[in-house]
Amino acid sequence: MPYQQREIVASPSGGTSVPPNRLSQLLATMSATQDRGSFRELYDYFAPRLKQFYMRSGTDEAMAEEMVQETFVLVWRKSHLYDPSRSAASTWIFTIARNHRIDRLRREKRFVQKEEHFFEAELVDDGSQDRDVDQPKMSLIINEALAELPPNQAELVRLSFYEEVTHAEIASRLQLPLGTVKSRLRLAFGRLRKKLAEFET
Amino acid sequence: MINHHISDEMLMSYAAGALSEGASLFVASHIHMCKRCAQRVFTAEAVGGALIDELDGVPMSSGSFDDLMLRIENEPSSDAAMERIESTPDLSHIPEPLQLLLGKDYSELSWKSVAPGIKQFILPVGGNRGEKTRLLKLSPGFVTPTHSHRGYELTMVMQGSYSDESGRYKVGDVQEADGEIDHQPIADTDEDCICLIYTDAPLEFKGVINRILQPFIGI
Repeated sequence: MPYQQREIVASPSGGTSVPPNRLSQLLATMSATQDRGSFRELYDYFAPRLKQFYMRSGTDEAMAEEMVQETFVLVWRKSHLYDPSRSAASTWIFTIARNHRIDRLRREKRFVQKEEHFFEAELVDDGSQDRDVDQPKMSLIINEALAELPPNQAELVRLSFYEEVTHAEIASRLQLPLGTVKSRLRLAFGRLRKKLAEFET
Repeated sequence: MINHHISDEMLMSYAAGALSEGASLFVASHIHMCKRCAQRVFTAEAVGGALIDELDGVPMSSGSFDDLMLRIENEPSSDAAMERIESTPDLSHIPEPLQLLLGKDYSELSWKSVAPGIKQFILPVGGNRGEKTRLLKLSPGFVTPTHSHRGYELTMVMQGSYSDESGRYKVGDVQEADGEIDHQPIADTDEDCICLIYTDAPLEFKGVINRILQPFIGI
């Protein structure tokens, strides 16, 4: 079925449900043509999710919503940098949102990669990363791998990504020794990477 | 060839945006030199994408998309979206995140002598609870006083090399240490050894002399 005919279904809580390859195609179309319809579909899918993502960092609803709007201004303006052969739409948008959260909430200097650096392959690139990655497949495998993580490892992964807490903060919040926090995160990433080995060079 | 890498838990927390400023600077500098670790960060970012997907979402206010389009049409396309970092060709031996922070070569920094054979330059990055990010320059053949770590320490060689009980560290190599490690690094070539060091607590030096020296060294 051509992707244009796929139906987008609104989930009860606000975010729509869309297959990952559809999202990446939408972002690629928008990137190429500044197509407003594609942008709208991406917005309907990601805006409610990003709002929740920002709220998990401790912002109130109004602030989270403002940050979502700011994020989508960035998505619109940076869309020409998106390369669907290199990353899924959700990965690209995650990096923009993560960076925006650091800029906006922590007001720190940001030393995480600018997303365009990854996507323009400026990083230690010897050409070997220049290949097409089967992004939809990668997304499915990550979702499966996350679901299969032992709960005590998955919890720490979600805390790290959703609440941007350091190892020491996780340790004090969950009353765990710091070494345990580190080893659980290490084990979790090891399991995830094992499943994703085919996508690494 | 980089032989000593950053641990997976640090790479994942970096991708999550969950490291402090100094630790992020450290990891960002390393992955500019190390393809293996850059690839892992990239994988961890894909995990971040999947975690966005798995959220149910909280509905946006009605009309928010139209508001967004108005904003896009009316706000001047600021340079922020287009911002390009220009790296300086002469400084290409310094990884970009560090280069942008320093703006000059290692030789032009105002190094402060902290002990015979050791100079340091504290980097202007935020830190809390005793965190510090610095460059340390060891003179050739200089033996660092034996020290252990109350907290956590990340060290990366930026120029030259050093050796300690655990091995030899060359440009781009990383040593991660915590309170259980006692070590005594030696700059082991005829060149100054410059290291980028992130610590989340002050170091502890062993022995009476070192204890006397410590307040002056301040490291």
